[in-house]
Amino acid sequence: MIDIINKIDSFFIFNSNFGPREGDELKRILYFYPGQVNSDIQKTQVGLCEAVVKFMTTFSSAPCEALQTQSKRYIFYQPERNFWMVLVICIPYATKLPGDIKDAVEPAIMYDFMISSYKMFRMFMGLFREILPEDTYAICEKFFTPYISSRNIRNDLSNVIQGINYLPLEKNTFFKVICFIDLLEVNYPDFKCISFLYNDQLIWNGLCKDDMLTLYQYLIHNLLPKQVEKEIQGGAVTAAERHGRFISPPEGIHSEDDLKKIIKVYLIREDDNEAKAYYLVIYRTLSATVSFTVDENTNLDLSTFRSLDTFIGPKLSTIASSIGEQCTMHALVNAQITPTDHKFLYFNKLNLALKTSMPSNSLNPSTAVSPEVLNIIAEVHNDHKSLGKYGEIIIKTPDEYWITGKSSNDREFYVVMQKNANLKEIADEVKRICEMQMKGIFFYPM
Amino acid sequence: MAEFCLHDSDQYYLSLSEPPKRFDPNSPVTNVFFDDTNGQVFTVRSGGVTGVTVNGLDDSKSTSFRMEDKGPIISIKFSPDHKVLAIQRNVDAQTPSVEFANFKDLVPTNVEYSHTCKWKNAKILGFVWPKVNEIAFITDYGIELLQVFPEKKQLKTLKSTSFSCAWFSWCAQSNIVVLAGNNGALLQPFSLSSSNITKLQKLELDATRPVVERDVFVIRLCEATWCAIFRHGSPSTSVSGPTEVCLMPITGGNGILHILKTGLVGRFAVSVIDNLLVIHHQSSQTSQIFDIMEESKRDNNTANHLPIVSGVSMKPALVDGQECPMYSGNWVVFQPDYIIDARLGCLWKVNLIHSGLAHSLSKDEIPKVVGALLRRQGGNDTIYRILNQLVTNADTHLVELSRVFDEINSVYRKWADIEVARNTAGQVVEKGSDTFPVLISQTDMCSHVLQAHADDKYLVQVVTAYLSSLSLHNMTVQQPVAEISVRTLVTRGASGRLRSLVRRGCLGEEQLLACQLLSLGHFDPAAAQLALDMMCRLKAHEEIVEVLLSWNEPVSAAGAARQCGVWGALPARKVLSAAKVHGPAAFRALYHALLARNERERGSPHFLKGEQCEIYIEYYKQLMEDS
Repeated sequence: MIDIINKIDSFFIFNSNFGPREGDELKRILYFYPGQVNSDIQKTQVGLCEAVVKFMTTFSSAPCEALQTQSKRYIFYQPERNFWMVLVICIPYATKLPGDIKDAVEPAIMYDFMISSYKMFRMFMGLFREILPEDTYAICEKFFTPYISSRNIRNDLSNVIQGINYLPLEKNTFFKVICFIDLLEVNYPDFKCISFLYNDQLIWNGLCKDDMLTLYQYLIHNLLPKQVEKEIQGGAVTAAERHGRFISPPEGIHSEDDLKKIIKVYLIREDDNEAKAYYLVIYRTLSATVSFTVDENTNLDLSTFRSLDTFIGPKLSTIASSIGEQCTMHALVNAQITPTDHKFLYFNKLNLALKTSMPSNSLNPSTAVSPEVLNIIAEVHNDHKSLGKYGEIIIKTPDEYWITGKSSNDREFYVVMQKNANLKEIADEVKRICEMQMKGIFFYPM
Repeated sequence: MAEFCLHDSDQYYLSLSEPPKRFDPNSPVTNVFFDDTNGQVFTVRSGGVTGVTVNGLDDSKSTSFRMEDKGPIISIKFSPDHKVLAIQRNVDAQTPSVEFANFKDLVPTNVEYSHTCKWKNAKILGFVWPKVNEIAFITDYGIELLQVFPEKKQLKTLKSTSFSCAWFSWCAQSNIVVLAGNNGALLQPFSLSSSNITKLQKLELDATRPVVERDVFVIRLCEATWCAIFRHGSPSTSVSGPTEVCLMPITGGNGILHILKTGLVGRFAVSVIDNLLVIHHQSSQTSQIFDIMEESKRDNNTANHLPIVSGVSMKPALVDGQECPMYSGNWVVFQPDYIIDARLGCLWKVNLIHSGLAHSLSKDEIPKVVGALLRRQGGNDTIYRILNQLVTNADTHLVELSRVFDEINSVYRKWADIEVARNTAGQVVEKGSDTFPVLISQTDMCSHVLQAHADDKYLVQVVTAYLSSLSLHNMTVQQPVAEISVRTLVTRGASGRLRSLVRRGCLGEEQLLACQLLSLGHFDPAAAQLALDMMCRLKAHEEIVEVLLSWNEPVSAAGAARQCGVWGALPARKVLSAAKVHGPAAFRALYHALLARNERERGSPHFLKGEQCEIYIEYYKQLMEDS
């Protein structure tokens, strides 16, 4: 298990311009995790990083990426000019036997973690540079502390590559979904539907892919688990809930006061060119979750939300139950196919679709894949040179794991097998799996 | 309820043919008779002495002649070929006979004869011409079917059937006559086809509610023959409520009883226009239209119907430049669609105005009206107009629009299924045009509706709704629709939607579509990705090779070419030019592969002069020197 919380030594954000004079060093530190570390150590840490970053500019115009010491690894990320995010990870101190690298954390995973934390920050709080300097400290504290403690990256393939799990819907049901969205947007022109989820699977996306990924992660990691818990605790679903409700703010929208609680997000919608601020409204019925954006200049008024509720409620629950039926049927069909013991992972860079044979259920994390294998996959995934635009790589680990990575036409496909076989047998097996699982998808012939 | 009004539509949905056919009106010296079989008006002046004029909507069959006045005429009718004129008179002698006069080119030949019914004491209630040279006398004793030999001035009995009858109703379109016995408590249909009298199944009536002559009509509707019976509420029979029309099937109709709810009381008349049943109501001066083919809830083989749209009057007709009284008491309505005003001397046909059906509707009724128009001859123009208006107002009519699409496509689907069945079974049954008067194909939809709305705000939603309806009816998306969809979605910034649709096969799988997607690849790489997938599924391997070469991916192109066996024919120059762009490693590899190919095919590794590879040979040499 990649236990991030225990591996993170510290995480901080600084901007050297915030306290340029001597004695103002603390002002430069926008955020420091863990918070209880005394300020002198904070200053030392940040000071070191400032120095390294500055020093490195002598050698390259590209920003500095990482620094490794004997016991720590520093990962740098400069999301906006002069704003630096640094993640410090402990690495095993004792010298180990070569080959025993099980505990090493693939830096790429940590780097991704940091980038996604920034993206989440940007979506909900906006750009660092647009926040007033004196407000920055409080805002960062408010955002990052809960974020770090809530994010737990498990030993799961779906965490190695950040992607979106799409629900493969049969076309008539899919048409029901988009016709519903059309009808809604036509009747409520202020409300633009940006996503439609069923459980934790995405059906409709009206954002650019990066924003969608961030919103998706927010929904499935933060907002929805709490709602699901509430639904389970609530025991019998009340009639009102069956007809759906607004879940952001989490208590729903019942009064004028609730309208003020609606959060704002900074997004690029499919038809926009740059990020703009929108109100984010989220509605849920049965297992279907729909999120909307409303231009921030729109006057929100309670009666609109009431009428929206009566409009969406019944329609959405019909659609949700027909999707549910289809999923059940799908599950029945799948249950008849004998499960295969090999594991695969598919990732499409262009729409961030992620499909895996491994259970991605957050309740029972898979223990079948060793961290070592995950690290290898993460490495292959991040090292664009090893696969290039198209290519294939087969890696064998000492404990008889065969990892095959294929890349083609902006897609990646990984197969993990544990068996005693030779290279040709593995290659043939992968070819078979690829044909079976990825029917109708074009792979560059080799 | 939100209203819908088709722009420039007629306020009325029924009109009388303009101008009316004029004839001398009824007067003390003139008697007017109408033959509904031939659709002709006979005006008999002074018993025929001062002339008989025969007028119909078909002018070629109009004529006038004189004849002797042998007594008051009850009925006068030409045979279907207009060669024999039959006259029934009310003469004192009471012999049940009919007179005949032979005609040639609509002129009397002065050959006259008469024939007496086989039951000497019977009373002839009327006669009908089931076909050329066949006449049937309907008497209170029964029916006698006779063959006429005009040259011999003779008639010969073909068949006769006894039935105690008070009155009858005749349907010329189906050659079926319904005889009423037992004071109207028993209705017995007979078919007079194929020179025979066939007794059909009698109509079950409520014995406590006998019917009268003016409430019974035999009509031909939807390829079936029906007996339409008006059932009025009356205190004496303890049945209350407005009048219903009960359509009892005589032949065909799948044995389903249709009940038409008029919601009115009073005097009614019936017309049949294009398989629609029109009920004229005199006191409210309205006409209601019923379509028995509409989808309706069936309960125990009984289908209930309401008017398609609420009743409206017929369009006021002009006679001599003035509006004539409509629904007048002087009107006589004949089936299928004749109306006569004997006082004014006018003969009209009733016409349906399609656009009038969409003049004033609630939103919910739009799909139903389109459904009805799909079953009408020439209904397509109005459907296109409705569609165009809905598309323009898609913001408020999106739901109705998709239901209209569903109506259109379900009809198309049914037609296509029948066509397929016919083609596979190899049967040749010419019924198509009758059962499906209006078919709107995908091409029609594009050329008449979608193309005209290129600038509409909600075209994306409209196109989606149409695709959704096609998918729901399991119809493959055809090229024009796919093309218009792609264009709309791309130009409106909905390429995400386009990709989701393509991914689910909602736009079909076509090489042309793949090429369209490919051309979008410049600004939407995901579209190109899908295009390659689609080509792969379509097994368009040669195209894939071309695409990869144009993307400067020569190694993959060579691989793809090998897979589909065109490697040997791949022009070396093309491969090398792509390889040069891609990089030295790829160039060397492919150069060697091509040399090997040459060696295998021609026994020598060198390129031919015709292959024009000189610059690449030079480049190779240069590469090798450098390394």
